[in-house]
Amino acid sequence: MGRNRLKKMHKGDKPLKEKYRTKRRTKDLDLIHNDMKSPDSLLKQEVDLDKPGAAQFYCLTCAKYFINQKALTDHFKSKPHKRRLKALEVEPYTHEEAERAAGMGSYIAPKKVEVLAQDKLAPEDREGDTTMKPA
Amino acid sequence: MRVEKCFFCSAPIYPGHGINFVRNDSKIFRFCRSKCHKAFQKKRNPRKARWTKAFRKAAGKELTVDASLEFEKRRNEPVKYNKELWQTTVKAMKRIEEIKTRRQNHFIANRLKKGKELRKLADKVEVEKNIHLIKSPAAGLKQKKQMVDIVMERDVEQMEEN
Repeated sequence: MGRNRLKKMHKGDKPLKEKYRTKRRTKDLDLIHNDMKSPDSLLKQEVDLDKPGAAQFYCLTCAKYFINQKALTDHFKSKPHKRRLKALEVEPYTHEEAERAAGMGSYIAPKKVEVLAQDKLAPEDREGDTTMKPA
Repeated sequence: MRVEKCFFCSAPIYPGHGINFVRNDSKIFRFCRSKCHKAFQKKRNPRKARWTKAFRKAAGKELTVDASLEFEKRRNEPVKYNKELWQTTVKAMKRIEEIKTRRQNHFIANRLKKGKELRKLADKVEVEKNIHLIKSPAAGLKQKKQMVDIVMERDVEQMEEN
């Protein structure tokens, strides 16, 4: 038995497939919009040693944990973070909008949403470079 | 039975087609085909993918606000079968569809008019700028000079006669 297909159609796409699996699903933008309405539960989390940085350095918009304050502030200056802020400036896309676009009712253009920087949302009350605190 | 709409491209999903994705928070996302499902998995924005209805509406490519769009709705009320009602509804649906397509076509035709005008303007500017390619600026200069010479000679002759 030889190979039936000469071209290797799916060679090397395992990492891609793995990335998009439901197991590795990251937060959707509409969920982050919900989070931004009540940020305290995520920004002032209790010490959880299973999470990176004991869950003390969380970026709300990117839904990501960081290991210390420096990593977090560096992240705020980064391109992915700024891109995410920009993406959050419009109302999240919903199934209702899809239906309106399909002709079920007039289409309503998405509104702008104000995105506050995280350091303005929660004023810094932690020390500068806190590392893992003992529980 | 219900014909749902695709979350990504807004295409109709007939029973037995497409795939449903139920998120952790029990929200249902329906997709008409694997293309839309994959795009969703990759977190593409339907408002930015040019082939979706959401893009076309958001970018003003299609008719967005119209009374003819208000008929198709999710009405969660069961209606008892009535032959007459059924017949008139089907009749109305056909008529509404007719009106809707006509208005949509009209909208697109109007939208394309702008481009036609702009193209005409651009053509005019191009001709004005590159007129030397059509007609040389030196064309007719020689003739003009000859004419001037003749007129000059005539003037001189007239002067002499006087």
